[in-house]
Amino acid sequence: MSTRTQAERARFDGRVAEQREGRHAQALLSEALEAGAGEAEVVAQGSETMAVRFEGEELKLSSADSGSALGLRVFDDKRMGFSSTNQVGPEARQRAAMGALGLARCSPQDGANVLPVHAAVTREVDACDDQLSALGVADIVALARDLVARTLAIDPRLRLDSSEVSLRRGAGAVHSSAGVAASASSTSLSLSLFGMAVDGEDVGGFDYWGGHALNLEAFEGLATESITRFSDAALGNLGAQSSESYTGPVLFSPSAFMDVFVQPLVAAASAIAVQRGRSSLKGKLGQTIATSEFNLLDDPTDRRLMGLGAFDREGTPTQPFKIIQDGVLQAYLYNGYAAAVDGVRSTGHAAGGARSVPGLGAHGLSVAPGDGGSAKDMLGHLDRGLLVGRFSGSVDPASGDFSGVAKSGRWVEAGEIVRPVRETLFGGNLFDLLPQILRLSSEAEGVMGAAFSPWAMVDGVAVTAG
Amino acid sequence: MESTSSSDPTDLLLEALEADGGPNVELRYHSKRTRSVSVENGRVDQARLAEHAGVGVRVQAAGIYGFASTASLEVGAIRAAVEDARAAAVASAESGKGSGETRALPPADLAQGCFSEPGFEELQAKPIEDRLEWVLAIEARTRAASASIQSAVCRYAEVFEEKGIVTSDGAKAWTRLVRPEFATSAVAAKDGEIQRGARSVGSTGAWDCLFRRADPEQYSEEAAAMAVNLLRAGHVEGGRKRVILSPSLVGLLTHEAIGHTVEADFVAAGSCAQGRMGQQVASELVTLCDSGASEYLPGAGGTLAVDDEGVLAGRTEIIRAGILTSYLHDRRSAAEFGVPPTGNARAWEYDDAPLIRMRNTYIEPGASSLEEMIAATEDGLLLDGPKNGQADANGEFMFGTLQAWPIKRGVRGELLRGTNISGTAFDVLRSVTAVGGEFEWDLGSGHCGKGQPMKVDAGGPWLACEVLVGGQVQ
Repeated sequence: MSTRTQAERARFDGRVAEQREGRHAQALLSEALEAGAGEAEVVAQGSETMAVRFEGEELKLSSADSGSALGLRVFDDKRMGFSSTNQVGPEARQRAAMGALGLARCSPQDGANVLPVHAAVTREVDACDDQLSALGVADIVALARDLVARTLAIDPRLRLDSSEVSLRRGAGAVHSSAGVAASASSTSLSLSLFGMAVDGEDVGGFDYWGGHALNLEAFEGLATESITRFSDAALGNLGAQSSESYTGPVLFSPSAFMDVFVQPLVAAASAIAVQRGRSSLKGKLGQTIATSEFNLLDDPTDRRLMGLGAFDREGTPTQPFKIIQDGVLQAYLYNGYAAAVDGVRSTGHAAGGARSVPGLGAHGLSVAPGDGGSAKDMLGHLDRGLLVGRFSGSVDPASGDFSGVAKSGRWVEAGEIVRPVRETLFGGNLFDLLPQILRLSSEAEGVMGAAFSPWAMVDGVAVTAG
Repeated sequence: MESTSSSDPTDLLLEALEADGGPNVELRYHSKRTRSVSVENGRVDQARLAEHAGVGVRVQAAGIYGFASTASLEVGAIRAAVEDARAAAVASAESGKGSGETRALPPADLAQGCFSEPGFEELQAKPIEDRLEWVLAIEARTRAASASIQSAVCRYAEVFEEKGIVTSDGAKAWTRLVRPEFATSAVAAKDGEIQRGARSVGSTGAWDCLFRRADPEQYSEEAAAMAVNLLRAGHVEGGRKRVILSPSLVGLLTHEAIGHTVEADFVAAGSCAQGRMGQQVASELVTLCDSGASEYLPGAGGTLAVDDEGVLAGRTEIIRAGILTSYLHDRRSAAEFGVPPTGNARAWEYDDAPLIRMRNTYIEPGASSLEEMIAATEDGLLLDGPKNGQADANGEFMFGTLQAWPIKRGVRGELLRGTNISGTAFDVLRSVTAVGGEFEWDLGSGHCGKGQPMKVDAGGPWLACEVLVGGQVQ
């Protein structure tokens, strides 16, 4: 660990950082193999972060930090063990190697405990920006001050519980005894706005917005969009009243549609969930599960999304991946383990960081727009009913049952928003309702830098008002 | 990575502090070692050892807090981190309208000495191999409970935490504790229907706390039975209803509906608790607290003796007999509100800066029995089993329940599927008509999310109140 202060550190160089993480990964890999592991895989991640946090109008915390993490997975005679550490010295490496190997030797054998078949990473992703590589704490403070000032200038009733701008510069490397040696580096700026509006005794429900950007120009666009979305939602939440109980069409914002329908659907499309009998999508490959207008892509090449990358947690190359096309389930998502169980190749969906065994997940989800027109046009299709801005609730991806509260919800009559709502619950089963998607808007919108989705009108939702 | 507990680092931290010589500096060494195993359908998904250790540094300069950290427990590296934190604060102040003045840290009841919770050595002495074998057996037992069970999961984790906290105004504390967690779940399927059952527990301490209410085998049976029984359970009819909440749901209510709205940073931003101090916000039957200790029963999952600013973590009465009496504070918010800090500054790991967080939040037990409460319910629901929850600035909350039973004319009916409930915090507390006499901590396996995760616990007795219940699921 360096003892240089932040001021002494040179500007970020992605290639140098990748080489450093590659050396850390290779050193731990060698340690594990020398200790007797049959197969081993190491992920090394290092990053430096500058973050500025405001509470209200006041700058509360400014941080300048750096750190590392190493994750080691070993297989010994088809037995698996894992260890992680944030220490990179020889003693820590030895402890990590012996720890993982010790765990493997007391674990039961599993025929799928093998490293994924090595495939060369051929796609290059340039995610390091020269300007972001040179920013300092004062620059981040200036961006954050501007964000806060612009937000609060919109309306005196707006309150920011917290807002943050952070710059992350980092690199990661995956090395394995199967021949994987992949590395990547990136720089990105993130922001978040969290708060509400207060008008006398009336405290509106909170809302938040944010995302990430790969350069200053994109950050400016993100800031403008976030300020608008946050302030519109927070101010619109003032004066909330009860709504009405009914079962019928509900208009979901892109964020709510992702939370209620898309994310749980992707969890159910996990090959592991299917293999272990906890997915309603088992046996549905090639079958129609949603309205024909519904198309879902996982796209790790989309530079607008945080999942941008050329390879997954196991070093397997990634590529655009169709999950649903014209309402038909196209494929399950596989990581190395799930692929070994089914005797197929990984689809590049190993997920997670250095501190845990690879999981399984999508990189950057994108729901294709439909032909329902703008968000305002979508409202016009709702004679009387609920608009859900955010979802606060739970979804069981196994059964598809969901239930929760409509946050930043609005009551719509004759295609116009007539009032914000409070204490309005809604529920249903996503697998029953996917074929009841009535319309998707003609434009998809970003959801916190993680996904893109249009607005969605879904029929058959049970709404319970207080 | 087995059995590598730290030694008391506070003298070394003090050396770094004295070498720096500057005012308003907090040094926090935090070692977190995790041993966890997870098994699904006989396959080991996680067999994991993890260590994450280092020193977090916070410096107040020019009226702003700067934060930095180092993974190294060496004086030179710690001093460099102090300089980083100070430089970040100064740069922030110079670039805008900071106060420009370095203010003394607000006064506090600062901790000195060693604070060790029970169970640390006992659990550390148990080999992980034994844990893995045991988890495999419990998972197999859950899976074998019924032919309808398609999938079962069993997870166990032990998190060993050691902290050394030294501040330039006198805190010098060394704390050690262990938090074990156990969870088992089952997925049952029949005729195209899929249902899940789950049980989980978490505590601070050894297994005598973790498995105080039931042994692991019993939790396994309960999870399996819940999944199978829910296959034939009906749906709840939605609407505003009288309900009896189990201690776990009372825990969620206190945490989500009340606890978050009285965190001082949220109050300052304008939460519904702002300006309500001294007002009647709940039934006189309700006394609601947040505590670093584990009242009534030992081993609550959010137990801590000292917070991450070095302040002794005592018990705070938030609501006393229905009257709002206190918010939850760190040192800075306490100074701003003109009250003593309540020991609620907590950081998830060494490289996180402390935030205002809850610890063990609960409603004090009353005098009613569950039988009396059911008998007194004309038309309502008995709800049990916590899922996720969330609170809003205006006090509106929601949380999910795993199971429900109708109550008609004082008689409990057949099991129904769980649902979500909602309400406005103080309205629901004002609707309380009975508070049970039996107390349980029952949220120790969960984590609170507020920028950083945090281990908390919550609980209370059975509670009769009125909430909005989600409607029938199609």
